[in-house]
Amino acid sequence: MDFRAGDSWGMLACLCTVLWHLPAVPALNRTGDPGPGPSIQKTYDLTRYLEHQLRSLAGTYLNYLGPPFNEPDFNPPRLGAETLPRATVNLEVWRSLNDKLRLTQNYEAYSHLLCHLRGLNRQAAAAELRRSLAHFCTSVQGLLGSIAGVMAALGYPLPQPLPGTEPTWAPGPAHSDFLQKMDDFWLLKELQTWLWRSAKDFNRLKKKIQPPAAAVTLHLEAHGF
Amino acid sequence: MAAPVPWACCAVLAATAAIVYAQRHSPQEAPHVQYERLGSDVTLPCGTANWDAAVTWLVNGTDLASDLLNGSQLVLRGLELGHSGLYACFHRDSWHLRHQVLLHVGLPPREPVLSCRSNTYPKGFYCSWHLPAPTYIPNTFNVTVLHGSKIMVCEKDPALKNRCHIRYIHLFSTIKYKVSISVSNALGHNATAITFDEFTIVKPDPPENVVARPVPSNPRRLEVTWQTPSTWPDPESFPLKFFLRYRPLILDQWQHVELSDGTAHTITDAYAGKEYIIQVAAKDNEIGTWSDWSVAAHATPWTEEPRHLTTEAQAPETTTSTTSSLAPPPTTKSCDPGELGSGGGPLVPFLVSVPVILALAAAAATASSLLI
Repeated sequence: MDFRAGDSWGMLACLCTVLWHLPAVPALNRTGDPGPGPSIQKTYDLTRYLEHQLRSLAGTYLNYLGPPFNEPDFNPPRLGAETLPRATVNLEVWRSLNDKLRLTQNYEAYSHLLCHLRGLNRQAAAAELRRSLAHFCTSVQGLLGSIAGVMAALGYPLPQPLPGTEPTWAPGPAHSDFLQKMDDFWLLKELQTWLWRSAKDFNRLKKKIQPPAAAVTLHLEAHGF
Repeated sequence: MAAPVPWACCAVLAATAAIVYAQRHSPQEAPHVQYERLGSDVTLPCGTANWDAAVTWLVNGTDLASDLLNGSQLVLRGLELGHSGLYACFHRDSWHLRHQVLLHVGLPPREPVLSCRSNTYPKGFYCSWHLPAPTYIPNTFNVTVLHGSKIMVCEKDPALKNRCHIRYIHLFSTIKYKVSISVSNALGHNATAITFDEFTIVKPDPPENVVARPVPSNPRRLEVTWQTPSTWPDPESFPLKFFLRYRPLILDQWQHVELSDGTAHTITDAYAGKEYIIQVAAKDNEIGTWSDWSVAAHATPWTEEPRHLTTEAQAPETTTSTTSSLAPPPTTKSCDPGELGSGGGPLVPFLVSVPVILALAAAAATASSLLI
């Protein structure tokens, strides 16, 4: 079962790069755009749906990991060995984020998280669990597309991955089984927290953004789409 | 001339000696404070007096029976709260005060009850505590708040002794908070701790200023308005959703409506002429739990101008109100057969709707028996 060699890492890196660029494509198909309002609402609704989906998925996955991960009062210290995007942010900083930064942070977070999710390649997991994971990945991808749509509607450029800052893993020293499970635990926790944060982020965006439809159409033309 | 001065000196010296002697042998020290456990036995010695010294004990100035004495020591068995007081022992003959004990009867603290709540999200949260049973003696509490390995300050509430406040520095944290409390008094010590995630303790205060008003010319409507709780700091970015419940005073069952936004709602299925009780609760849209129910508002839907009881026109009015109270309660489900019958409101007499329901039931029974 030990095939975590260079090949897998390379494949994963490639996959992540592809995913990084993929959500940009749907944005090109936007026509007759009524303004970002409905798409912000849609994105908000998606975060709620994903949060609901994650609740049952996390329960099943933690049971698969076994104790102590599935114990309700499991409260490990966060060592920070995993390279997950952290939802936690200083209260004042969060409040004063401009719209572009707010959206960018969300977009980058879910791109990273999606990468990590796809890396949850559990051969030992039950088929049912693998299906749920795959379904959840698709939903996260949908969320990414939705965020991309909002950014495009507002004329913000999608964050392009710079060489060297791509969410790849270096084929480092093999993680012990326990440490790998810890990484999985934190991934699920961060996903849950990010979904709560995104709901709040999009609430804030909803209230602030009311651009007239004409101005938005002009924006799209200017970008040469 | 020289003679009076040495006499004065002697007099002063003698007086000083007497005072010193008196102080040594009748100590005016503050009473010794002693804490003892409820139900236990205690033996109070009379200071440094010998066991066989002849002493009298008084409690709060009242004589104590000599059968409680064991020599010069006072023995109290099965301490009760009433035993608390100032015990003094005197030399029997000279009434010279030998010793005083201020006795407090109490209990060691049981495990405290601690709870934390955020009604001011995202500003912060507060924790409050109490003891499940009284100790009857003074207790000191010590609260510590840990966020991962970081210690956070819990500021004491200016008004409430058993509450302190913590300010959030970071939001959307994956690390749990741990709040520990220790309580101690002269008889013992206890402690407890709770651990929770940032989101789970969010519970707003109930909505404020709930007002219900009748709607003119609409005998089945009530207009309800309320305000978001004033303690919720940022309803724009952290919107609340609301839950409204209402019932006529004469019935026990509540009707419920969940509202995702707005601070007003019109009830459209009120019974004409019946007084209603209405309450509202609030919850953050995504996280936490529902608030407690608000203070209740009372209102009666609009009715036509009241007439004097002696006029004949009163008769149809009374029939109307009786039928409405006996007709099956309208629910929010539109496919309820009862609702179809009472769509016309209080004008459908009870005697007609019953056969209709029976007929429907019979039809349904026949249909299902045909299908089997």
